[in-house]
Amino acid sequence: MDTRSMWDPWQEMKRLQREMEQVFADGSPSWRWPLTGEYPPMNIARGEQGIALEALCPGVDRASLEITVVGDSVTLRGERKPEPNVPEERYHRRERPLGPFTRTVRFGEDLDPDRTQASYTRGILRVQLARAPEAEPKKILIQS
Amino acid sequence: MATVTTATPAPTRREPGQRAVRTVAPRVDIFETDKAYVLVADMPGVGPDGLDVEAERDTLVIRGRVDPPATRPDYQEFELADYFRTFSLTQDLDIDGINATLRDGVLRVEIPKLPQVQPKKILVRTE
Repeated sequence: MDTRSMWDPWQEMKRLQREMEQVFADGSPSWRWPLTGEYPPMNIARGEQGIALEALCPGVDRASLEITVVGDSVTLRGERKPEPNVPEERYHRRERPLGPFTRTVRFGEDLDPDRTQASYTRGILRVQLARAPEAEPKKILIQS
Repeated sequence: MATVTTATPAPTRREPGQRAVRTVAPRVDIFETDKAYVLVADMPGVGPDGLDVEAERDTLVIRGRVDPPATRPDYQEFELADYFRTFSLTQDLDIDGINATLRDGVLRVEIPKLPQVQPKKILVRTE
């Protein structure tokens, strides 16, 4: 998925549904994320209060974790570091993807960086984004 | 030689009258130090109360339960699932000395080797 381009939820959802059906049907020992080839995988919920973003990224070094909000885009950066001082030949199994990551998502509506809140618990990064005042949905009063 | 090997994952668990709960095998890294085997498993969404690590003779079982999401997202790339995976242990590991920690959705299990399989340093005396 090219998250740098504009986000089309319907097209994405249909495509993801197909992709998830394929992924979950193959009985592999673990689900293959990132499903989209981008890391970390995200869930997004849009509400009147703003946009809630969840990213699945366990074991990220907290000092490396960074969230930037510019215009209508959010960038997540971080690093999953390997165990220090373990040479390659001492590994019997390596399944966990490690290393630095950067992912940017554009929402198509301006966000307010000052009202962004984030938490990181149980390996899930949650970011609550607020729309910029001019992008807030406005209720139009209908005059008879 | 001491080894930790993986076994097949459990089938998806479906309980009657409940939503379908998927179970996945967590991704793991396993490495060896002079004194222990260390198993590192990604289990995002699992907290200390949802985690079970059990060792009995030659089997290590790890289980993790996640809370179902409160709302369905508009756009979804991941779906949390419970975790289950078993590992076979050889007799030369000290299962009573197993130590497990959970931090930021990553489980770390350290399984000490019994003293007789740990490398010994031989002191060489010179005359």
